[in-house]
Amino acid sequence: MSDFFQFLISGIAVGSIYALAALGFVLIYKSSRVINFAHGQLIAIGAFIAYALAAWLKLPIALALLAAVLATGLLGFVVERVFLKRLVGQPIISVIMVTIGLASVLDGLMYLTPFGSGNFSYPAFLPQEPLRLAGITVSYPQLLAVGFTALFLLLFGWFFQRSTLGISMRAVADDQMASMSVGVSVEKVFALAWAVAGVTAASAGMVVGTVSGLNQDSLIAIGLAVFPAVILGGLDSIPGAVVGGITIGVLQNLAAGYLNRFVPGGGTELVIPFVVLLVVLWFRPHGLFGTEEIERV
Amino acid sequence: MKRSMLLVGLTLLSLAQAQKTVSLVHSGAITGPTSDVGGPYAAAIEDYCKYANEQKLIPGYTLNCIVRDDQYQNPNAQRFLEEALDRAKPAVYLGYATGAMLALKSLIQEVKLVAIPASAHIGLIDPPDNTYVFLPTSSYSEQVVALLEHIAREKKGAKVALVVHPSAFGRAPIEDARKAAAQLGLSIVDVQENGGSLDNTALLRNLEQKGAEYIVHQNVAGPVANILKDAKRLGLDKKIKQLGAIYTGGNDLIRLAGDAAEGYLWASSYYTLEEDTPGMRLHRELAAKNNRGVLGQSHNYTAGLLAAAIAVEAMKRAAQRFGRIDNATFYDALVGMNGPNAFNPGFVVKTANSPEIDFTKSEQTGGEGLRVLEVKGGKFVPITQPFTSTLFRKVHYGK
Repeated sequence: MSDFFQFLISGIAVGSIYALAALGFVLIYKSSRVINFAHGQLIAIGAFIAYALAAWLKLPIALALLAAVLATGLLGFVVERVFLKRLVGQPIISVIMVTIGLASVLDGLMYLTPFGSGNFSYPAFLPQEPLRLAGITVSYPQLLAVGFTALFLLLFGWFFQRSTLGISMRAVADDQMASMSVGVSVEKVFALAWAVAGVTAASAGMVVGTVSGLNQDSLIAIGLAVFPAVILGGLDSIPGAVVGGITIGVLQNLAAGYLNRFVPGGGTELVIPFVVLLVVLWFRPHGLFGTEEIERV
Repeated sequence: MKRSMLLVGLTLLSLAQAQKTVSLVHSGAITGPTSDVGGPYAAAIEDYCKYANEQKLIPGYTLNCIVRDDQYQNPNAQRFLEEALDRAKPAVYLGYATGAMLALKSLIQEVKLVAIPASAHIGLIDPPDNTYVFLPTSSYSEQVVALLEHIAREKKGAKVALVVHPSAFGRAPIEDARKAAAQLGLSIVDVQENGGSLDNTALLRNLEQKGAEYIVHQNVAGPVANILKDAKRLGLDKKIKQLGAIYTGGNDLIRLAGDAAEGYLWASSYYTLEEDTPGMRLHRELAAKNNRGVLGQSHNYTAGLLAAAIAVEAMKRAAQRFGRIDNATFYDALVGMNGPNAFNPGFVVKTANSPEIDFTKSEQTGGEGLRVLEVKGGKFVPITQPFTSTLFRKVHYGK
């Protein structure tokens, strides 16, 4: 039984990383209906900025992390201003294609830096010994992932429900034309969404870097790994991203724990989440918490 | 006027004849998956090419190095090779990935082009279509069998699990490892594939329940580092000892796993960066001169230097012996690299009975010696003398 709880807790920790990475993805979709294929690149850039500040400029790690979060937020803002601003009102597929191109450009630029083909680790800043309770162990980087996710979930919950800007973002997501007609600046909303997505992406990148080290491809892969999480939770739902992420993480760990021993070579953790995803989508095509869109003719 | 033009033409022609060009082509993962291996490997090839031209290592020839980034995609590797064959007529192909090399074997055989890959998959030098493929160092299978021999010496009847990369690269040594384990009285309790996971609790708990005392990895450094860290977190680092083949170790592993890497055992043919050999002095010199930073601290940089050095040496010998460098003379020069003509650049260890690098038509592995190294105090240090695995030959070739 202790194995079950260990798998569950580890799954929640991994799922929190997926959820954290998924938040920015959902945020952009929620405000602009754009699927951002460059999200993995933002995750990697945030993680590497923090590393550069901490390891090269020798900034205290907390300051380096904070500066990296802000810098990646600024990058998200600039990307929106430079590349996407002109596409307001254009077909969504055009914007999606731009994000695919952007991913390729950012990838290439990162390979031109010293980070391109290397493996790196943050200077140790968390206790090395894990927490142990009733036979269950949790590492501090895992706790960091859970903490960050909970923090952002609360912040976004407040932001979208209470703040004028958050309500504007929801309005723009719902109907751009109607929002503009009541004075909401769609451009500002989009830019803000990209900036905040940059902030969450950097946070996710730093958590992944703390858990498993920094490698460009592994970090970018996290950006793609969140797809099942956001589709399961619902593409436009912040709580959905969290529930989807944690569900995928737990399913992966339980599958690896209980099914791999019967399957030569293992690998069920890569399949089972998708099986569950298919079943859920069969009954709820818009995901667990996604908005059910009804088109009246 | 006509006479002066003729004179200029003749001068240019004689200059062109005096300094001919020979091409070497490399296609590898400079970006994309496994670029932490492919990046330093390709950088080393570029640096050695520059060095070869500066030092005029190939008399009468300028070396034209074509280095392409295939992003670990087999179709890209095939396209680059076909393009190079069409345009540059290379004397040698320095390949990279297992999958791409296995796919290109028949083409390589057809065009009779010598290929020296980064991949050490034994299937590359096994029939069919194996005449022109040569491994710079011992195969993955030999490395894993050598590690099993080390385990058998340490603990008779030990229970061993294999954790491998989910690819042809990862699966390469499984069959030979099973046969070797049976011969050594070890039991393989499980074989799991792992391409990198944020959490390996389930994997480690399952292996613990199956009684695994050793985990042998055939993977790249990233996934192994995560498993080491998780083993330490779960308190399994004292209970299960971990070992791995060439691409699992090196400075990358120490950088990623930190303290959790302590005690990790690694099978490698290469000297470490701190050792004082001509090859490693050259490694340090070229890495510093070309500002390679972290890439220059990798044993994969040494591996790239070795592959390029073997190619350049064979070109040099072909030029000296036959007066020309082409596919056929390159091949003859390479398979003549043995006995008193063996190549000793100082990148890999040699055993008491074998030189550093030697090839024949039937012996297509260059450096056959390897050592087991252990992480002690944040560094890999050798814990065995260089040796070759006799059991590997028995289980793989039946002799």
